[in-house]
Formats: sequence, C-alpha cells, structure tokens
Amino acid sequence: MSLRDDFQPKWKLLLKWGWLSFAVFILMAPTFYTVYISFNELGFGAKYYNFTFQWYENVFSDKQLIGALGWTMLLAIITLPIVIPFGLLSAKLYKQSTHKVWIVFILLSPLFVPADILASALLVFFKNLNKFFTLIGEYTGIYSLDTWFDLGIMTAVIGLIVYTLPYVFVVIMITMARYRNEQTEAARDLGASAWRAFWEIEFPQIRAGVFSACAFVVILTFNEYTRTSLLKGGFDTFTSVLISQMLNTGMSEESYAMASIVSLVAVVIVSAILIITAIKTEELEKKTRTIKEPNK
Amino acid sequence: MKKNNAIELKNLIKTYGDVYALNDVDLNISDGEYFVLLGPSGGGKTTLLRSIGGFIRPDSGSIVIKGKNVNNLPPDKRPTSMVFQGFALFPHMDVVQNIGYGLKLQSIEKNIIDEKVNKMMDLVGLTGLHNRKPHELSGGQQQRVQLARALILENDVLLLDEPLSALDAQLRKDMCIELKRLQKTVGISFVHVTHNQEEAMSVADRIAIIADGKMIEEGTPQEIYNKPKKQFTAEFLGEKNILIGKVHNLNKSKIILDINNDKIEIANNNYNVSKNQGVSVSIKSESIQIKKNVKPKTNEKNSIFGKVTEITFLGQFVRYLVLLSNDQEIQVRSSEEVANVKLNDQVILNWKLDDFILHNE
Repeated sequence: MSLRDDFQPKWKLLLKWGWLSFAVFILMAPTFYTVYISFNELGFGAKYYNFTFQWYENVFSDKQLIGALGWTMLLAIITLPIVIPFGLLSAKLYKQSTHKVWIVFILLSPLFVPADILASALLVFFKNLNKFFTLIGEYTGIYSLDTWFDLGIMTAVIGLIVYTLPYVFVVIMITMARYRNEQTEAARDLGASAWRAFWEIEFPQIRAGVFSACAFVVILTFNEYTRTSLLKGGFDTFTSVLISQMLNTGMSEESYAMASIVSLVAVVIVSAILIITAIKTEELEKKTRTIKEPNK
Repeated sequence: MKKNNAIELKNLIKTYGDVYALNDVDLNISDGEYFVLLGPSGGGKTTLLRSIGGFIRPDSGSIVIKGKNVNNLPPDKRPTSMVFQGFALFPHMDVVQNIGYGLKLQSIEKNIIDEKVNKMMDLVGLTGLHNRKPHELSGGQQQRVQLARALILENDVLLLDEPLSALDAQLRKDMCIELKRLQKTVGISFVHVTHNQEEAMSVADRIAIIADGKMIEEGTPQEIYNKPKKQFTAEFLGEKNILIGKVHNLNKSKIILDINNDKIEIANNNYNVSKNQGVSVSIKSESIQIKKNVKPKTNEKNSIFGKVTEITFLGQFVRYLVLLSNDQEIQVRSSEEVANVKLNDQVILNWKLDDFILHNE
C-alpha cells in the first residue's frame, strides 16, 4: 500500500509517516534501551550514567562467548553454500512448474511445525539412522558410517537447512518472479549452455535476492536456539551460551553489550538488504517496463 | 532454377493434452526466402517457429534444416537464430555486449568481435548507440539490437516471433521495409510469425496460413490475397463476403450458383466441382460495384439485389452493408460515396465474373 495520494493534504501524509515512525520506534525501543545501558559503566537501573566501552571489551575477552560466536559463524558458513543452491533450484522449479501451490506448500511446511517438535523429530531420526548404520556395520563389517549422524556440526547444519530453506526460497522466488525467461531462451539461442545462460544472464538480475537470502541465513543461524541446541549438542552456539549465561547469572552488562552488537549488526544488514533490494527492484521494474513497452 | 530447401518439416505433431498445437504439418522453406507464418492467435504458428528453433520438442515428425535432421538438437546446436516477441535483450548489458554475446560464447577474440559488432550496428542502423543500455533505447532501436544480435552469428535461418507486435503502426511499417532490405542484404531465409496480414503481405516472398495447428494453405502474397483457395483464408484476410450455396449449372467457362434461390454467375477457373455440389464463394468488398436499383428485374447473371442497411465512412473508403433477399449480408467498399445510394435504398450489386472465388473444401 502506498502512502502517497496526489489529492490528499500534505499534513495527512506527514501524519501517516509520523504514525509509521512512532510504531517502529515503539517496536525498537527495547533494543535502543539495551544499547543505551550497554554503554553505562554503572549498569542497569543505576542512578547515574557514566559512558564506557568496558562491557564491550569484556565481551570480546569472554572466551566462551567468542568461541560460541565462532561456532555459530561456522554453522552459518557451512549452511550457506548448501541451502542457497537448494533455494535457487526450488525457486526455479516453482517458476517452471504448473503446480505452484504444491511447491509452496511443501517448501514452507517446515515453518508450520513448532521449532522444538521439528528439532526433537530430527533428533530421533538421526539416532535411528545411527542405529541403522550400526546394524549395517554388524552385517558388512563396515563401521565407519555408524557415527555419521552423531550430534555435531553435520546434524546441526541439516537442522538449519530445514529451518532456513523456506526463507531462502521465498526471498529468491520474489526476485526471480521479475525475471523474464525469454532472456534465458535468447541466451541459449545464441549458443550459451544452460549453466552459462544462468550464470551470465539470469544470476546478475537476481543477485540482490540471492545476497538477501544469504544475509537472512546468517541472521537466522544466530537467532536459532532450539534446533541448534538439540541437534549440535554441547550447547556451545552463540544464542545457547548467551541464554545460559543469562539464566545462570541474570542479565549482565556484558549481555547488554552482546545483545547490542547482535541487534545493531542485524538491523544494519536487514536495512541494507531492504534498501538495496528496493533500489534494485525499482531499477529492474523500470528496465523491464521500458523494454516491454518501448513506445510508452 | 529451383532453390534448395533451407527447412523441411514433415508430419509435425505437437499436442498439449487433448489439444493439437501442431497437427501433421508439412512445410518446405527455400534458401534465401522470406517466409511468413500467418494466422490467428493460438493457431500454432509460434509453436511451429519454436519447434524449428529447438525450444519445443514435437511429439512426432521431422525437422530438417539445411539437410540435417535437428529433432534432437537443443537451440544452441541448431543453425538458427531467433528474434523474440518481447525484446529479450539483456538489461544489464549495453548494446555492444548484447550484440557480441553470441560471438563471445564462441570464444572469438575481442578485437574481431568489436569489428563484427560495429559492422552489424552499421548494417541495422544503430551507429553511435554503442554504450546504451536496452532501457535507454526506443522500441525500434531495441528491435534492431535483437536483429543484429541474431544476424551476427551468420546462421542459415533467422526466426522472427511476432517481432513488430510491440511497435506502433508507423514504426511497424518502417520496420517491415527495413526487415525486407536486411533479408535481401544477408540473403538467408527469414521465417516470420505474425497475425497481421498487412505486415505479412509487405515482407513475404511466400505466406503460409496456419490455424488450429493445421496448415491451411500457402502461396505468394498475391495468390493468398487475390485467389484464396480456402474459405478460412478468405475470411481471415478480412473478407466477410462469403456466400454458401450449390452448383446449379456449369460449363467450361462459367459456373452458375444457386445461393438460396438467387442465381449468380462466376468464372470457372478449372474448379473441380460438379452439379448440385455444395460450395462457398467469396468476393472482395472492393470488387463489387453498387448502384441504385432502377429496374425491378434484370437478366444480368453476375448481379444481385439487396437493400442498404448501413453506410459507414471509414476515412479512405465508404462501407455499405447490403442485405440480400436470402438474408445474407454483403459488404461493399467504395473509394468514394456513391451518388444517390442512401440508407434503406434498393440497390443492385455487380462484379466481374473473375472476382468471385470458389472454395470447394
């Protein structure tokens, strides 16, 4: 819905923007307050405010927290090159298929299952797989497979793929919807293989969506607690460490600093994605419109 | 001297469910020929073109291009280039990159690509637009880029899928002249799909009429327009003056037809018909003369009576709608208003014997 209407008085437009800004401010106020506290030497609830970077220094010297940050980044880095091609292929399949509703239903179905149920289902599934491979080992003498699905990086990555694929699919699908298949046909007609037509013609035009999907995967990996905690084992990923610290010692000033870092990074990334996507979308729409309706 | 065939299509069939998009199509297109596939929307002409280009795999039949069966070859392996309906230019590339893309795929050296691109840009009239992106070009310029991009590969056949449909009327006329000139210059076969008869007539060496997935008839523009063999062709080319009747009598030079008890006489151009056979005939609206009926009866066989039900001024001509006594309606087109003929007047329509075409399918 557009906020613009050529016939409405200017004050109404300002009022709408004012209301929108106020709503965003209210939603984000707790985050702003967390950032505010994270720079106070005297901490939460203090009568006075002494500006400091101390809590941030403490965070970066907290080996457990930094270790957890490393694990989470690793999970995100391993998940990305698997889930992004999956998402791309799914979006391409969606575009070519005549059974679009079914594809959307299948791909979005993991979102409809509560996180803890999906995580425990996967946990049971992996345990059974291990049993299955142990049984195979007993018959064949090959025991190298029976630890494949022990809880660890691989199981956590599978859990994250199941979790992030629907988001990746939706983000890429939206960008891909604006792409005209005739261009791929033209490239093929000029002698391009299917891969070159994709890489040189289609990808540059859906790049914004693919990069947005990558950013979403990283943010979702950081945000994830239940699946990674249950499926990785060790409770050593970023969110699980942060939450366990809070449960053990209450919300410390370091926690506020860490929360601020994560929130600000997320807000900056998401804002950048939104702005770049909006600009690219407008550019692409303009180009498509001009190419499709050259006389207008 | 007979030309070799650039394209030979035999028994081509393509179905979508129960619908025949192509129904046993046979067609030969000669080397260096400008061939137009003309027909109504949904008739199968684009399916046929895309089958030749390798974008659609027919269910059965064979496609031979330059003597080689290409049935199992993908588009990039066929000696054809395609100009798409919706200007499928690459928006992130400029004019030079768009035109040179096919050569780049062949790993040709950059300086050779640049040289060929410049020559091609001069040929299609794009000089000076090297660094423009597609959205910075007009519709006509975009179409020229598509043409240059396709022609630069020097393939044997150029396929054009409704290439002028997005252009305004004047630009379309200009581009028709341009396309014909280009085809003569490069000398390869052009296969052009359109539903616009004026466009087809102005560029084609030969035209095929396609409808419901079937080849209705083919011939030169003059043959198709002046002597359509099939009733469908006559109707599709805008001729609504179709009369249904049966052969009353015939000899070597004339046929007398019974059109709901009105007798009309037409020339017998070796039509394969017999007495009492049901037939349809058509006549162009501009071939009929209309005049006020002063006599109640006439012995002329190549004439018919009627009543004017509508007179419409259409700029270049005036159209009269005349209701015949058998309730059939005839259109008459006159370059100027006929004196004395007014609405509801009784009129007599005359024609030359040769002007009626008989369709005996």
